[in-house]
Order: sequence, then structure tokens, then C-alpha cells
Amino acid sequence: MQNWFSENINLGILISALLLVLIGLASIYSATYDVGASDFFNRQLIWAGFGLAALLIVMFIPFRTLQLVSYPLYIFSVLLLIAVLFFGKTVAGSKSWFGFGSFGLQPSEFVKVTCVLALATYLSDKKINLSRFKNLSVAVSIVLIPVALIIRQPDVGTAIIYVFMIIPVLYWAGASLTLMLIIISPAAAAVTALFGITPFLIVLAILLITFFVLKENKLISAIIFSITVLVGVSVKFIYGKLAPYQQKRIDVFLNPEADPLGSGYNVIQSKVAIGSGGVFGKGFLEGSQTQLNFIPAQWTDFIYCVPAEEFGFVGSILILILFAYILFRSISVASTAKNRFASLVSMGVVSIFSAHILINIGMVMGIMPVIGVPLPLLSYGGSFLLSSMVMVGLLLNMYINRKEY
Amino acid sequence: MTENFTYHSRKNVFYVILGIVFIVFFVRLIQLQFLYSEKYGKMSAENAIRNVAVAPLRGYMYDRNGILVVDNRPSYNVTVTPVEFENKNLELLTEILKMEKEEVLERIEKGKKYNRFAPVKIKRDVDFQTLSFVEEYSGQLKGIEYQFEPKRYYPTKAHGSHLVGYIKEITESQLQKLGNFYRQGDLIGASGLEAGYEKYLRGKKGYELITVDAESKIIGKFNDGKSDIQPVEGDDLELTLDIKVQALAESLLTDKRGAVVAIDPNDGGIIALVSKPDFNPELLSGVTPISVWQQLNTDPAKPLFNRATLTNYPPGSTFKMLLALAALQEGVIDENWRINCRGSFTLGNKVFKDMHVHGSTNVVEAIQRSCNVFFYQLMLKTGLPAWTKYGKQFGFGTPTGIDILEENAGLLPSEEYYNRRYGKGKWTQGYLVSLGIGQGELGVSPLQLAAYAMALANEGKYYKPHVVDKIVEKESKKIIKALPVMRQINLKKEVWKPVREGLYRAVNVAGGTGASARVPGINVAGKTGTAQNPHGKDHAWFIGFAPYENPKIAICVLVENVGYGGVFAAPIAGLCIEQFLYGEILRNKLNQPKIILTNSETEQIRD
Repeated sequence: MQNWFSENINLGILISALLLVLIGLASIYSATYDVGASDFFNRQLIWAGFGLAALLIVMFIPFRTLQLVSYPLYIFSVLLLIAVLFFGKTVAGSKSWFGFGSFGLQPSEFVKVTCVLALATYLSDKKINLSRFKNLSVAVSIVLIPVALIIRQPDVGTAIIYVFMIIPVLYWAGASLTLMLIIISPAAAAVTALFGITPFLIVLAILLITFFVLKENKLISAIIFSITVLVGVSVKFIYGKLAPYQQKRIDVFLNPEADPLGSGYNVIQSKVAIGSGGVFGKGFLEGSQTQLNFIPAQWTDFIYCVPAEEFGFVGSILILILFAYILFRSISVASTAKNRFASLVSMGVVSIFSAHILINIGMVMGIMPVIGVPLPLLSYGGSFLLSSMVMVGLLLNMYINRKEY
Repeated sequence: MTENFTYHSRKNVFYVILGIVFIVFFVRLIQLQFLYSEKYGKMSAENAIRNVAVAPLRGYMYDRNGILVVDNRPSYNVTVTPVEFENKNLELLTEILKMEKEEVLERIEKGKKYNRFAPVKIKRDVDFQTLSFVEEYSGQLKGIEYQFEPKRYYPTKAHGSHLVGYIKEITESQLQKLGNFYRQGDLIGASGLEAGYEKYLRGKKGYELITVDAESKIIGKFNDGKSDIQPVEGDDLELTLDIKVQALAESLLTDKRGAVVAIDPNDGGIIALVSKPDFNPELLSGVTPISVWQQLNTDPAKPLFNRATLTNYPPGSTFKMLLALAALQEGVIDENWRINCRGSFTLGNKVFKDMHVHGSTNVVEAIQRSCNVFFYQLMLKTGLPAWTKYGKQFGFGTPTGIDILEENAGLLPSEEYYNRRYGKGKWTQGYLVSLGIGQGELGVSPLQLAAYAMALANEGKYYKPHVVDKIVEKESKKIIKALPVMRQINLKKEVWKPVREGLYRAVNVAGGTGASARVPGINVAGKTGTAQNPHGKDHAWFIGFAPYENPKIAICVLVENVGYGGVFAAPIAGLCIEQFLYGEILRNKLNQPKIILTNSETEQIRD
């Protein structure tokens, strides 16, 4: 028994995930202390209970069953996304909820799970070759169909997460570097061009070095390079033609602190919260930034400020270490897994978590634009906590089955 | 195996990219929490923004003619923000506020439990002098401020204490039960309409964010007030009350113990509901001085007790109509059935007395002259089950369901009741005889009797009594109208006629006991009652309605421990009816002398 347990259960990932949920609960309690803490806390606690049950169930679902149900589940969840556009209720401007009494469900969170499973099932088929246009477009469509529906809600933050997810998964499934460059470099050029000429030139330089290192075909290199330059220049050109208020909107998105009373306000306040926490923090329930509700949505998107202010560097770094452990350990499991499905599911989950963490913590620390995505396992929100814990369950399931062929 | 080889080389790409992300986060944390932590710590300390709850205006109440009955006026509370309070200032603060140190500390301590950064109310409704002291010492008294709060104000002459009710500071146990809306120091409806309609009246709190500097001086509104949340005024209540009738009834009962309830027979709306002695609700709105509380609670006349809905006295002769209706409906007697009253009635070896020798009497005359012997005999003839059955139909023994909180069900005895109380077969017919004249083991409230008068006026249409006619919602601008709830007491048409005629004659025809309820130009119908009271003088009752032909008001008057209903209760009813139907007391203007009863008439009204 002892042997079976240590052989099959990845305790490290399980404990890290549960610790993060506990830190999240404590932070939500603190963040809502003044606005009826028990209400938020109790709800999240109930969801965490459901989440733990779901995690354990998902963890032990037979491997083949998961593969078998992945397409039907995917189709069902996409139908839910369509239904929510018609019958859903609107919360904070997005029509993305199904209401059941006082509890709401967000289908877009569960589509993350089914989308990863469907994509992994498709790509794990030996006959699939990503250099074939048909196969590539099916793979991309599996992700873009839900994205198109989610943008209609509109929930841009969640849509961005899906886009962040597909690139690493395609790469892991064996897409060529050339294909990756075709996808990534124009996007990188577009964003950096808005920041200024130097970052744009750096992107071009990195691109050239990559071509050189990879000994890429000269014609293809020339085509990719010119597309990248063209995109960068035209973005700059279009920006110049925009009305000043539109330019300002883009500026503020890229540099929130340019608008200290608007979206920059949150970022400034969250930086003050993190910074004033110092090394050891102000103590639980003692954070003045948190307790005075300086930061709107501090129990959802800005949750990281709360432990950072109240537990300081010690608390902030602990959370980073726990996340890093889950991600690095999962990549390692994915790379040693004996079958493609397990490997791809793990990488799908890793990509989704990474995207959330990068965008969320980057935003809270004031080094990324303000995009409303929550932090996995910590942020307040039932559907998201549940889907995050289901995804941890998938990671653990893949670990159990890593030696299956 | 080639695949796994690919994974191995590709995983390094992921390690590197993720590694860079986490290193950037790590460096950023070092930068924020080590290098700049002093700068941000200072910003955070200066970022003293106070989240001040702004009390909404409580909903107003209007009477049926649109007269403002319950209003708000401004008052000021002194507050302390616990996190900024310095103990060295305690002495000065208690001196300015004229409070005990323990009380101030206790309030600060309680406030800390909810939010140390939000101001706690220390003293309510302070006078101008205290306010100017607080202002004067504001540099020294860190974290101490004053705050505006609307306070209840009653612009009319009427108190309406038991009807409107009062508000008070929320208690610890209420706070725990009611959850998120309330905070320590908030006001909440404690009785009457204020409590029953709390949910509508309270409105929604607003929040104001105020920036203060390191010295706790107010710098200004945070974010130009853009982050403030405006309070939402409470919903208004439009009452069925006629405040002038209410005020008149209150003044007529001055220095007496008693109650007046008047109802609109067309929808069950309460026109007046008075209980005396009462209290001045203004004294209780906010913080009540302990001396006032003690006085109210220890007063033997129980001014806080709502006599209009909570008393449980025998109704006396006002109950005779119920028996008459039961007997006529069940066919026990008809209109022409007569008895010969010789002034007393003997059952076994017990003698039941009457006030007069009425001679040959039918049901109309028995009601008119309040002949006891008639009803003694009729009770035995009709029997308890039928009497109880119709008593229930008229709402006795159950609460009326009026929309103010406290109400007594009263006592309407039945066979089961007597069996339970005395054992089966151990009680005799003699127990019933006095029920026939509304005495004995029987208890009603003035509200129940007023509703009964309404049903008599209406020939059986029993509307559920209510005080609130409309709720005007402030936020949605919606108006919620109370729909009259009616129950028909189904009796034969010819049953009502003699009973109502008896009521008419009791007031208007010589020999009636209710003559002092007469109103010039209006036909009043009614019945007096005098309830025996083992603890002192009899309680005087009167119930009635007017105009007889087309009733617009039904009324019940109770005056405790004074004597005959015809002498003490009936005149009050008459004046209230006059005020309601004419809008003023006309008999003064007409220079008509007060109705002076002849000696023989005064003799007659002993019932």
C-alpha cells in the first residue's frame, strides 16, 4: 500500500495545490472582512469542498475513459457556451453565468477543461501531422470555436487565456519551429512596436539570431522576417492615425500608471499594498490597504495583494514557489510520460495555469497590462476554483498513468 | 522513442521561459518589498482613507390626507476611528462628551471588532456646544470627528407612539442575527410600523471616502468623490391614518388609561389607534437617556404597553349583538320573540341581576336598552357551540393580522376550553349565563372589537385591519398598494336588520344606553359596555359606527377603571366620529351646548 501510494500519488503537487487553496481562503476572508466576510468565505469554502471531491474523482477516472468521453464532453460544453449567450444572466457586464439559486455557474471555466482534453485526444492520434494544413486547422479550431463564443459574452480575459494555451500545446505536439515563428513573431512585433522602436528592434534581432541558430531555409526566413517588419510598421502607422482618445486608451492599457485615477489606480494601490507589506507583512487582518478596500475586486483578480500585504515577502514568495513547483513538476511528468495523451493533457493544464499566473501576478505587480483574469486556486469564484481543482486532478491522474502506453 | 526525445529537448524551452517569468516576479518582489518598502509603507500610511457610512434618510410617513406624520431632522454624532484613537485623549474626550470613561472605551472596543478603520458612533445627537468643542480640539483629538445623521421628528400634535413605534440603537444580539446590513451604532425600528416596515423604511446606506493626512486632518474627498456610493432614501409609507382623529382621541384620553381604535369599514384601514398613557416617540428616537427608560418601564400605568392591541378584557354588553346574531341565524328565536324582564334572572339557586326592570322585551329593545335578562335566557337557549362558532367568525380568539407587530389573540371559550379547564361534565350551564352579556372567561382587545363593529356596520364584510395603504419605493419609483383582504361572514339578510336597528336605537331613541355618542346631523349607531373588573372600578366600553345608513367609520373606545360605558366611552366615540366625518368638531362652532342628558336619560344609560 505504502509503495503503491508513493508510486502513484504525486503528493508534492497535491499538497502544493491544497496549500494554495487554503491561502486563498484566508486571503478572501481578510479581503472581505469588512463587507460581510462570512458570506464570501463560506461560499468559497463550500466550493472548495466540491472542488476537493471533484479533484479526487477526476484523479482516479480510468485513463481510457477520459479519452473516450473527451469529444462528447467538448461538444456538450460548447453547446452550454451557446446556451449561456441566450439564457445566461449578466454579471459585471458579461453574459457568462447560469444561475442556480444563489450559486452561479460559468460554463467558460469548464470549457477550459474539456478543450484541453479534446485537443490532447486529437493531437495524440499518431496519424495527425501538424505540418499538414488540414490537421493544423482542426487543432486550432478546437480552441477557436469556444474563443469566438466567449468573446461574444464578452469576456476578453478568458479568451486570451485560450490563445495563450494553444501555442505551447502545438509546440509540444511537435509543430515545427518555423510554424511557431510564423505565429509568434508578428504578434510580438505588433505589441513591441507600440512600446517603442527599441523593443521592436530587439524582437527583430532575436528573430534573426533564431534563424541563424536554426539554420532555417533562407526563403522562408525572408518571408517571416518581412511579414514581421510589415506588421510592426503598420501597427505603428495605424496607431499614428488613431484619434488621441483611442491612443490614450492603448497607452493606458500598456502602461496603466499613465492614468492614475482610472485603471492605473488599481495598479498603484496594489503596488502600494505589496510594497508596504515589506519582508514579514503587517499581519493577518492588519493590512490597511486590504481592510480599507482600496483595491476594487481585491478578492477576485487582485487577491495576490492580500497575502503580499499581510504576510510580506515571506508570504508572496511562498505562493510563487508553490505555483512554480506545480508547473515545473508537471512539465517533468509530461516529458517522461509514456503516452502522448497524458503528456499533452499535462502540458495543456500547465499552459492554462501559466497564462493565468503570468497575466494575473504580472498585472498585480504592475509589470503587465490590466487584463481581468483570476489567479488559479486563490481567487474568489466558485466555477473557477472548481475548474482549477479539476485541472489539478487531471495533472495527478496523468501522473498515475504516466507509465501507460 | 523519438517522440520522447523531442519532449526532452522541448521541455527545456518551457523551463527557460517559465524560469524567466518566475525570476522576473522574484526580482520585482525584492524591488517592491525590500528596496521600496519604506516608500510604499509611507504611501500606505498616508493613504489614510476613511470609509464613512452615510446614513440614508429614513422613509417618511403620511396620513390618509397626505399630512406628513413622521419626518426627519438633522442631528450630529461624535465618532471615533479606533485605529487612530490615542488613549491619552480619553480624559479630554469624556469631559467634552460628558460621558463615563468605561462607556466610551466599551463603544470603541465593540467597533474594533467590525472595522478598526471605520468610525464608531460614541455619542448621538450632541448639542451645538459639544460640537464646537470637538471642532476646537480637532488638532489634538486624533481620529475624533462628528457625523451627520437624520433623526426622527414628529411634526404633528399626535404622538401615535404605539402605532408608529420608535427606533433605537441596534442591540448586540440583533446585530448577530441580522447580518450584513447593520453595524454597531446603527438605528433600527423597535416597535410599531418602524419595526414592521423596517426593511422598507431603512433605505440603503451610502459610503463616502475621505482622505486624511498623517495628522488625521481631512484633506478632502478621495478620488473627487467619484468612488463614493450615494445613500438611497428609505421608502415612504402612506397610511390609512387620519392624524387629526388620532390627535383628538389622544387628547380625549389625557390622564386616563384606555384605547381608541377607529377603522374604515370600506377597506379595513385604521383611522386612529390610540393607547394611553403613551410616550413621546421623539424621546426614544436615537439614544434614550437611562432615566427616561427607567421611568417608562417602572410606571405602573405601563405607557409602553399597547392597550389597543394587547389588552385582554371582557367586552361587557358590546358582545350582546354576537349572541343575538347567533340565535337569529340558527333559528333559535325570531325578531318577535319576547321575554318579560323583572330585573333579575334565577338559575338554580343563583341570581343574575339586571340594571333595570325592562318588562316585555324583544331583541331590538334588548340591544337598545341593554337588557341583561333577555341575553341570560337567550344564551341558555342558543347554547355554547353556536355562540363559539359565530364568535370565531367575527375574529375573536385569533389575532386580526394587522400589520403592526404586537397583538393579542384574546380568549373565546368553547366546550373544549371548559372541558380542559374544569374537566368533562364538571361545569354547568351557570358558567355560560354571564358569557351572554360579555362577562366571565372572555377576553378581547379594542382592535378586535373595532373590527367587530366594522363587520356589524358592513353586514358581515370583515376586512383585515391594516395601517399602511401604500409603500412608495424610492429607488424603483414603484408604488406597492395594499389590497384590502375581505372575508364575508355569511348570515341571512333578515338577521342583520333587527341587530343593526337595536344599535341605532341604543344611540338615538330615548331609553338607549349610548345617547352620549350622538353627533349633530349624523346618525350614529352603537352599543355601550361596562365590564366588571375584580381589581377596581369597571372598564367602560363603546363600539359603534356612522353614518348608520352608509358607514364610513367604525370605532371602539375603552376607558379603564372609570365606570359606565355610556358615560365615559360613548362621548369620546361621538367626538372622534364627528372629527372624521366633518374634518373638525362642528358642535363647538354651532354653539350647540354639549349634549346634556336628562336625569332619566342618565339613569337609562346604566347598562
